[in-house]
Amino acid sequence: MKNMPHIALICLVFAFGFTTIQQPDNVDKKALTTSCKKKIDPFKYDSQKFTKINFTKKSQQLEVEVPVFIGEKYRLVFNTSSLSKPIKISVYTKDKETAKREAIFTAKEGENEIVFDVPRVRKMFIDYDVPMDTTNTNASGFVVFMIGYK
Amino acid sequence: MFSKKKSFILKGALCIASGMLLLSCGSETPKDESVIGPVTDTTTSMAEAQEVSYCLPSPLQIASIFKKSGLKYKAGVTSSSKDASKYTTNLNKAINLGVYSADLSYAVLNKQNQEAMTYMKLSRTLADNLGMSTVFEQGDLSKRFEKNLGKEDSLAYIIAELQMVTDMYLDENDQQQITSIVFAGAWIESMYIGSKVFEIGKDKSFNNKLAEQMTILGSIVNALKVQEKKDPAIIGLIADLQTIKTIYDALPSIKNNVNAAEDTEKELTLTDDETASLIKKIEGLRTKFING
Repeated sequence: MKNMPHIALICLVFAFGFTTIQQPDNVDKKALTTSCKKKIDPFKYDSQKFTKINFTKKSQQLEVEVPVFIGEKYRLVFNTSSLSKPIKISVYTKDKETAKREAIFTAKEGENEIVFDVPRVRKMFIDYDVPMDTTNTNASGFVVFMIGYK
Repeated sequence: MFSKKKSFILKGALCIASGMLLLSCGSETPKDESVIGPVTDTTTSMAEAQEVSYCLPSPLQIASIFKKSGLKYKAGVTSSSKDASKYTTNLNKAINLGVYSADLSYAVLNKQNQEAMTYMKLSRTLADNLGMSTVFEQGDLSKRFEKNLGKEDSLAYIIAELQMVTDMYLDENDQQQITSIVFAGAWIESMYIGSKVFEIGKDKSFNNKLAEQMTILGSIVNALKVQEKKDPAIIGLIADLQTIKTIYDALPSIKNNVNAAEDTEKELTLTDDETASLIKKIEGLRTKFING
């Protein structure tokens, strides 16, 4: 019985710590899709991509390659509302291994819903620049983008 | 000695802690999303290269592009394989779901109601066989499709909605490899239909359309490579598609014009012979697909 307060204390600390680290993926993806779909109109739905973002002690650059057809009109819609911290979203015509490349679009900071009507391109590379996390909260979430065509 | 009151509080604390642990374990979702960020931490703060993921277009968009470029309806060019039950492996089911999706899109955009209904039913059978029966049940998609037969715009809208629901389902169930396999099947079928409707040699615009379509083959192959661990059977499909890509990359019109693919003002095109050699390979692979 003498050790009981210590055991209880350890259990409580462990339980609180464990529940804080293990953040369940309780993101409503359907709601995110519905929100993007509203913004994609009057373009027709083509496809969408959910990318899980884990904020860590390292900054990250995640890339999604999107092949498109020249001469077609496209709209991209992004939704970052499930992320607890802002990320930078840029669109390029060359991949991140290319030394000299210029973004054809960079989203404004602080916007959760972003719409971009694409100019004449053959291929797009969407880059998510995820900043490093110094708070040790292991936060995570999803960024979704939807592409529509006319 | 502890008083009864203290002991009760401590026991209560232990119960709460145990409950919290159990709850936190239970709330862990079994679904593994498309995680492309690192999970482990290091002390480095430099940005490091991460895995690249892919977002492929829908079969309906390919059919729509061909329709806009003047592709007419021609009877008998879509898959004659009307027995979905003959596809027994998941790979063949997914490939032929793609084939049927392309045929469905072609039929809808050309107002072929009976054919559209046939391919809708075949698509549903294969989707059911892949364990995706809930997809067609959402929003009464099947019933709405039947009700709107003859209305091209409404049917195209329903197919796009079906695509969206399918994309969500596969993402939720960590089956993104099926998305890539289905699109590979749909793409080959669309190229086959294009080659049968446009007359090679007479209709030069097909040479151009085929060359433009070929630019996404590399993305299809790479998208499949990222997923090959989930289904090793994909390796054979990758090899088949890579063979076509290798032939395309070696064609003089492409090899001698490497910068054309990056020049958005310049149109890619192929000679009649180059188009014919590519189509021969595409036809061979399409036959392999529908034979199962």
